[in-house]
Amino acid sequence: MEPIISVRGLTKTYKQTTAVNNIDFDVDQGEIFGFLGPNGAGKSTTINMICTMLAPTSGSITINGWNAAKQRGKVRESIGLIFQENTLDEKLTARENLMLHCRFYRVPKSRRAARIREVLEIVDLTDKENQRVDTFSGGMKRRLEIARGLLHYPKVLFLDEPTVGLDPQTRAHLWEYILRLKKKENITMFLTTHYLDEAEISDRVAIMDQGEIIAIDTPDALKRQLGGDIIELSSTDNEAARREVEAAVPEAEITVDDGILRIKVADSDKFVSTILKSLDTPVTSLNIRRPTLNDVFLAFTGRKISEAAED
Amino acid sequence: MEGIYAIWQRDLLKFFRDKARLFGSFTMPILFLLIFGGGLSGTMESMMGSMAGAGEGFNYVEFVFPGIVAMTLLMTSIFSSLSIIEDKDFGYMKEILVSPISRVSIAVGKMLGAATVATIQGIILFLLIPLLGLSYSIVSLLQVLPFMFLFAAALSGLGLLIASLIRSTQGFQMIVQVLVMPMIFLSGALFPINNMPAWMDIIVKLNPVTYGVDVMKKIMIDVDSLSPQVQNAMGLNLDVFGRPVTMIEEILFIAGFAALLVLLATFSFRRANA
Ligand SMILES: Nc1ncnc2c1ncn2[C@@H]1O[C@H](COP(=O)(O)OP(=O)(O)OP(=O)(O)O)[C@@H](O)[C@H]1O
Ligand SMILES: [Mg+2]
Repeated sequence: MEPIISVRGLTKTYKQTTAVNNIDFDVDQGEIFGFLGPNGAGKSTTINMICTMLAPTSGSITINGWNAAKQRGKVRESIGLIFQENTLDEKLTARENLMLHCRFYRVPKSRRAARIREVLEIVDLTDKENQRVDTFSGGMKRRLEIARGLLHYPKVLFLDEPTVGLDPQTRAHLWEYILRLKKKENITMFLTTHYLDEAEISDRVAIMDQGEIIAIDTPDALKRQLGGDIIELSSTDNEAARREVEAAVPEAEITVDDGILRIKVADSDKFVSTILKSLDTPVTSLNIRRPTLNDVFLAFTGRKISEAAED
Repeated sequence: MEGIYAIWQRDLLKFFRDKARLFGSFTMPILFLLIFGGGLSGTMESMMGSMAGAGEGFNYVEFVFPGIVAMTLLMTSIFSSLSIIEDKDFGYMKEILVSPISRVSIAVGKMLGAATVATIQGIILFLLIPLLGLSYSIVSLLQVLPFMFLFAAALSGLGLLIASLIRSTQGFQMIVQVLVMPMIFLSGALFPINNMPAWMDIIVKLNPVTYGVDVMKKIMIDVDSLSPQVQNAMGLNLDVFGRPVTMIEEILFIAGFAALLVLLATFSFRRANA
């Protein structure tokens, strides 16, 4: 099957900064494609170029068979967009916002009422349809934006940090909606986030840093690429503990960070007892886990995503 | 078309919803009517009347009312166009721009919206006519409506043009101070434009608002019932650098001005939002 989005040599330069630097990737029909990276990585810039809102410095983008530079109208009809910032008209009611969207996208008159009902149901806002948006909570506004993005049955739905600024409970809910939707409509979803745990729901993720894509694969494959499990332990003397583990398991990769000794091994079942036996230094805590996308990010960039976000 | 309609409809919906703005926008014209129509009318009438030897027949309130309606059209059209800057600041413009509506439709919808809102404001002012003891004929009020819309469309074009060039609310406010206020004061809206110093006369005659105001006065005021002296005192025999102009010429001029501004505004909006 033809990829629904195809990006080649895409670059965007501002005066001093290269926000996006010569990236290539494809997104397949029906997949959830996660775009990860710290603040300023170039995620929004990439999305804005794909969505025809920003002219690339160079490179080409094809979406649903249309050229994003030359056939903007066709591209715009094929996509739905949940922007990073709020783009609702807060002076209008939920229903009025949705009705305007139907007109903008030429949803046939006879279908409007049914579609509005349908999307409001998906995001559980049916009983709020006649309320003004400025009376909504942050989470409700976000849900309404998602509902609006779906009204015209886009081929691809872009979600730029859909959960930013929301509390963890609302975030979890929102992801439920998004997944429900994906199941129901089989739309392709292109999402960006810098919460790595959220990216786990993606079929594939691309990790972006400083304008470049540094890894692209399924979350599992990326983690497998790291190889094995991670044993985190802290002890009364981490340096001594480190020497002891190194002596016992020479093939383990060890890093010390925030008073935690992070030991990467191929198979934790096999190594954990060896490591514990080798330690004379008293252990104060122990945790064994599978690698997360955070570990992937750390491995590829040498930084944790939260650290990268700070510079 | 659906797109133009949607953009237009949104602006109207918001106009009627925003009660504060709706009432707030009447304070200025009503204040002007009170000051000029009530407080100053005696002074104005004796001054204007005696200056032209027109005597009693000069009714200043009758003279100034169409001018104040024109002023309201001007202010409302221009400020309504400011809403595209607001839409940008509050993010909604992105929702519009990423949709398949053409840039031209967006610009046209915005201008029609602003012009409609301005015309409605003008019509609401008509409610004051009996309160002010004025007696414009119903026919003349109906006749002036299409012209009010045309005039408002021209001014909305001007507003959109400024808004798409300026892009910030503060900048827009400044333009309004240096452009809109003089356009009102140097148009004959509030006092007759007779016996002006030559340099001021040039500005007045170059000011498109002058002709809009003049057409509205000529339609609304029952000119034929006034003595030639009063007509003169009201500045109704407008000439441009020595040549008298007819109302038809003025209407055509405003229509041309509207067409030009709508084109320029559309073009400029498209360029600013490729
Ligand atoms: N209009 C602009 N002019 C100059 N530089 C810009 C502009 N827009 C973005 N940039 C720069 O481009 C880089 C990428 O920005 P972008 O918004 O794409 O990042 P992001 O990955 O979306 O970050 P975030 O997680 O904060 O949303 C940043 O360094 C930013 O400062
Ligand atoms: Mg961003």
